[in-house]
Amino acid sequence: MSPILIMEDIDAGYGDVVIVHNVSIRVDEGEIVAIVGPNGSGKSTLLKSLLGFARLFRGRAFYQGRDVTGMASDKLVSLGIGYVPQVDNVFANLTIAENLDMGAYHRKGRDSIRAGVAEIYEMFPELGARKDSLAGNLSGGERQMLAIARAMMAEPKVLLLDEPLASLSPKPTKVILSKLEKIEETGTAIVIVEQNVRKALSVSKRGYVLVDGVCAMEGDADSLLTEDVSKQRYLGLEAKGY
Amino acid sequence: MAVNWAQVLFNSAVTGSLYLIGAVGLTLTYGLSNFPNFAHAEFITLGAFVGYLVAETLGLGLVPALVVAFLFGGIVGILCYRGIFQPLAKRGATIIHLMVASIALGFILRYSIGALWGWSPLYFSTAWPSFDVGPLRVTALWLWLIFAAVSLALIMHFVLVKTKIGRAIRATSSNPELALASGINIDRVILITWFIGAGLAATAGIFRSAGTQIWPMTGWDIILPIFAVVILGGIGNFYGSIAAAFIIGLAENLGVVALMALGLSTEYRIAIAFLILIITLIVRPQGLAMLFRRA
Repeated sequence: MSPILIMEDIDAGYGDVVIVHNVSIRVDEGEIVAIVGPNGSGKSTLLKSLLGFARLFRGRAFYQGRDVTGMASDKLVSLGIGYVPQVDNVFANLTIAENLDMGAYHRKGRDSIRAGVAEIYEMFPELGARKDSLAGNLSGGERQMLAIARAMMAEPKVLLLDEPLASLSPKPTKVILSKLEKIEETGTAIVIVEQNVRKALSVSKRGYVLVDGVCAMEGDADSLLTEDVSKQRYLGLEAKGY
Repeated sequence: MAVNWAQVLFNSAVTGSLYLIGAVGLTLTYGLSNFPNFAHAEFITLGAFVGYLVAETLGLGLVPALVVAFLFGGIVGILCYRGIFQPLAKRGATIIHLMVASIALGFILRYSIGALWGWSPLYFSTAWPSFDVGPLRVTALWLWLIFAAVSLALIMHFVLVKTKIGRAIRATSSNPELALASGINIDRVILITWFIGAGLAATAGIFRSAGTQIWPMTGWDIILPIFAVVILGGIGNFYGSIAAAFIIGLAENLGVVALMALGLSTEYRIAIAFLILIITLIVRPQGLAMLFRRA
């Protein structure tokens, strides 16, 4: 598989504070990659630096071989990079249908958008049943589904998810994870930033472990879960029976 | 004192209509750009003078005056945003910096208008004789004003709900970062909103001055109730501003009745909008926004 997204030697943060130090990641076409680590380790900042929502001090980003460092986020979306923020990830005053319409903002042609909406409702029937409901009235799980669906409307080739399982109870967590696997089947690569290490790595092919803003470990998801060192030192999991 | 309550309600509709046309642009630009643009008053004034130029100096009549004032006001709005507010915002200006800059811009525009047209009042030559409709005494100007406000409400509803750019305006106002992450070019959205907002302010200037007078303070005379509409309606909330415009229009006209009953000058009516503004900020700073969540 060829890489679809590469971030090289990234230093990023907010204001004058550098939070992420010299981190590099690679995402291949159609794979799910997890970026895990404790709270405050810089996982979200790394994603945000690509979109311009955090300050990029150093490093470069390449999408499908093209240098996209510092590119405006609306351009990145039109190229095929989708992003779902951790919080405030739906337009609360818009209906579900209108949120999806906004996700398809750069798409041309009514028929294409209609077809996209139909596909989304097929993948997320829960949303189709309530398409005229205001997004602000949805439950946490439904909101997360809508946030992912909105990003999918842009037909991304790589989808960046910032803590999609945060604050979700077990049932919606399971639903979201199954949706991610469905999205993976469509050929869309996914980068999932998560504190819920076990869940994130369970659906991922590879993973990166960020600790204090640096990449402490990387490798296959299975090996990251099974290595005692990573489980105990970085992931906060029990050495056995995770 | 016998009160013609039907007339009071009608007058409230007239007042509310003027405030609505003046407030829609302010609430939308406030919601998107996150600062109260005090130069909105001068957009109103500018519209009145451009309308006077077209209707009286060039003799083309009021309808062309409304169209030209809308376009001219819109272009001035875009230039002000692009030339002043956007560069300031990109340099990290806070709401206070932007607000002070808008006050300064307002002064520059106001005194430029004064230098150009003078400070003596000007008047549209069109007479608006009153006539009776049932218990109501009306003028064609008032009917036009109500018609314009209702049309504006319907058109803006259609634009905001049914069109892509309208939905993008609501989306950007609600969550600009997510709008960017959705691929929306928010600079373009904000620019279009400033065009519409300043254009509407300019047309409000013509309606305001067509039945009264035109002078460099025309916009300033009504900016306080317009701000009260924006705050009561919920900043950035179009539907809230419709309700708020008519609530404040009604409150002002009921206030006039009360002032007359008390033997006080009706000049104090402006204080009613100010009172509503203060009470809203203390009791319910979000205004009517929660009642009109789809905004």
